[in-house]
Amino acid sequence: MKILVPIKRVVDYNVRVQVKPSGSVDLDNVKMSMNPFDEIAVEEAIRLKEQNKAKEIIAISIGPAQASETIRTALAMGADKGILVQSPERLEPLNVAKILKAIADKEKPDLIILGKQAIDDDCNQTGQMLAALLNWPQGTFASKLELNGDSITVTREVDGGLQTLALKRPAIITTDLRLNEPRYATLPNIMKAKKKPIEQTTPESYGINPAPRLEILETLPPKEREGGVKVESIKELVEKLRSEAGIL
Amino acid sequence: MMTEERRLIQETAEDFTRREVLPLADRLDSEKGDIPDSLIEKMGALGFFGILIPKEMGGMGLGVYEYCLVAEALSRGWMSVGSLLARGNGFYKRVPGDKARREERVKAMARGEYLGAYAISEPQAGSDVAGIECRAKREGAEWVITGNKYWCTFADRADFIYVIARTGAGEAGRRHLGLTGISLEKERGGFPEGLTGEPIPKIGYFGWKTWELRFDGARTSYENAGEEGRAFYSLAEDFAVMRAHTAARAIGLARGALEDALAYAQAREQFGRPIGSFQAIRFKLAKMSSEVAAARALLYETCAAMDGGGDMAVMAARAKYVASEMAERVSSEALQILGGAGYTTLHSVERYWRDSRLTKIFEGSSEIMLRIVSDSLLGRGGD
Ligand SMILES: Cc1cc2nc3c(=O)[nH]c(=O)nc-3n(C[C@H](O)[C@H](O)[C@H](O)COP(=O)(O)OP(=O)(O)OC[C@H]3O[C@@H](n4cnc5c(N)ncnc54)[C@H](O)[C@@H]3O)c2cc1C
Repeated sequence: MKILVPIKRVVDYNVRVQVKPSGSVDLDNVKMSMNPFDEIAVEEAIRLKEQNKAKEIIAISIGPAQASETIRTALAMGADKGILVQSPERLEPLNVAKILKAIADKEKPDLIILGKQAIDDDCNQTGQMLAALLNWPQGTFASKLELNGDSITVTREVDGGLQTLALKRPAIITTDLRLNEPRYATLPNIMKAKKKPIEQTTPESYGINPAPRLEILETLPPKEREGGVKVESIKELVEKLRSEAGIL
Repeated sequence: MMTEERRLIQETAEDFTRREVLPLADRLDSEKGDIPDSLIEKMGALGFFGILIPKEMGGMGLGVYEYCLVAEALSRGWMSVGSLLARGNGFYKRVPGDKARREERVKAMARGEYLGAYAISEPQAGSDVAGIECRAKREGAEWVITGNKYWCTFADRADFIYVIARTGAGEAGRRHLGLTGISLEKERGGFPEGLTGEPIPKIGYFGWKTWELRFDGARTSYENAGEEGRAFYSLAEDFAVMRAHTAARAIGLARGALEDALAYAQAREQFGRPIGSFQAIRFKLAKMSSEVAAARALLYETCAAMDGGGDMAVMAARAKYVASEMAERVSSEALQILGGAGYTTLHSVERYWRDSRLTKIFEGSSEIMLRIVSDSLLGRGGD
């Protein structure tokens, strides 16, 4: 069984994102890492391989040349091979899904495990769009994944509880936070990763024009928090909620 | 040079520090608790104890560069954990036992399952290593060790203690020629017959105990010794790596202090503004970050030169001097930026400050480092 794991290079989750005066997110000298949900996806694929339920794991990243670093991290965790689709453009979920579909058509995987969303733009669309383009079943926000022959059981975190789905292969899975805890890349595995191959391609080589269709009008930092006030009575609270906060 | 592989190694070490080391340090340092075995096991599984052990002996076969990257990252959380590395790694050369047992033990060391402690210093011999008086005498197929050692960190939990002992008088005026390195086998968690000890009450470097040791006829096999009378020279070789490692630890501490101070300066408000908007604080942070960057550049240039081969004793001494002095200044400034909060155990900065103080003292004090550098500039001076 073959698993594809798309991974995105994003600003590290520990970085306090700043907006430049020119109105874009400051990415200069900022630590970049693998999207945390994608790390969970890589971990899940490796666990399936360790249980002898998968044979090959291919990590795919679409982005700038430096995204090869992100792929190397996945290889050091335990993926077998990488594909870097190099594109300087800002990529939108639909374009990413189209590129992934083209790769899936060629690689014919049994499973594609994605993060439920990337922590940079929080779109939460790529997995679902890819499922539609491939016409495959999807199990999104997975908190548990079980494989038994051709059938896949996915436990999903939904409002008010857990939902369990049975899917047939090939299928799309997107990961939620509680699916697993990703491992560290050990030093021996980092050394081994050096020899694993990364294939270099472009969106154009799949016949896809990566140009964005959405225009970003403005990027603003979150509003600064204002200091709180103590109120004397419920009456005053209701009054303030009505007159100042405009909530009531 | 920062290769892809080194970046991945650093990432693993930094990630591990953030997730495992820092929370432990914040909890255990203030209660003077021991670093748990489970952390040592995890470090072993990651390969941290085998960085300098050759591949064919079960290690990673990497260099001082990688060793220092990991030490720096771990010390950013807790210096004692960064220091633990040295109880494996280059120490493989001193592992006791016959050939077969030594091979097994070196492999175990690479996994963190066989670790050592250094017993060099004595009550009367600190900077003056040639003044060592603890004696070892041959009796049949064994060495018998008698005398006192001071400052032996990890003595209780180690699997062996590397004792520098006097086995001969040395010629007149050449006391250093009478020293031999002897590895005493022992059980983890206790002391063997003929050895007792007391922990020394120190003001930092918690997570493990540092011991005063009394050897009263402790025995180990005759084969567990390096070349007789040559320990001073083998130590000199080890010292270059130990000093680079100490510089890395100092830089890790300074980074921790800087990062914490930076965050605090942005969050803490006085006079209606974040204190990070006052130039006095901004310039402090700018100076601190410049000092850290300069020391780092010097250290990794030194590491690259060491990995390239050759005797780098002077470069290592310079890097250790610069980094440890820098770390004390930077952590002290960080404490200042935190104000009263810095002077509490509620924030980690005081730990970085206390621990960085030590980097100027051990593994050769700043004064001894300057002596090495000045000797290289001017020829040997008077003592
Ligand atoms: C917490 C801690 C842990 C340690 N762990 C270990 C360990 O695991 N194993 C081990 O063997 N040792 C260990 N040490 C010992 C450490 O290496 C020594 O403390 C260090 O070498 C300095 O020796 P000393 O303390 O005897 O100081 P001294 O040598 O007495 O020095 C006192 C002062 O005199 C200065 N001085 C000495 N000689 C000269 C000179 N020629 N020129 C100018 N100035 C000079 C020194 O720089 C210092 O300022 C540890 C020490 C500490 C504090």
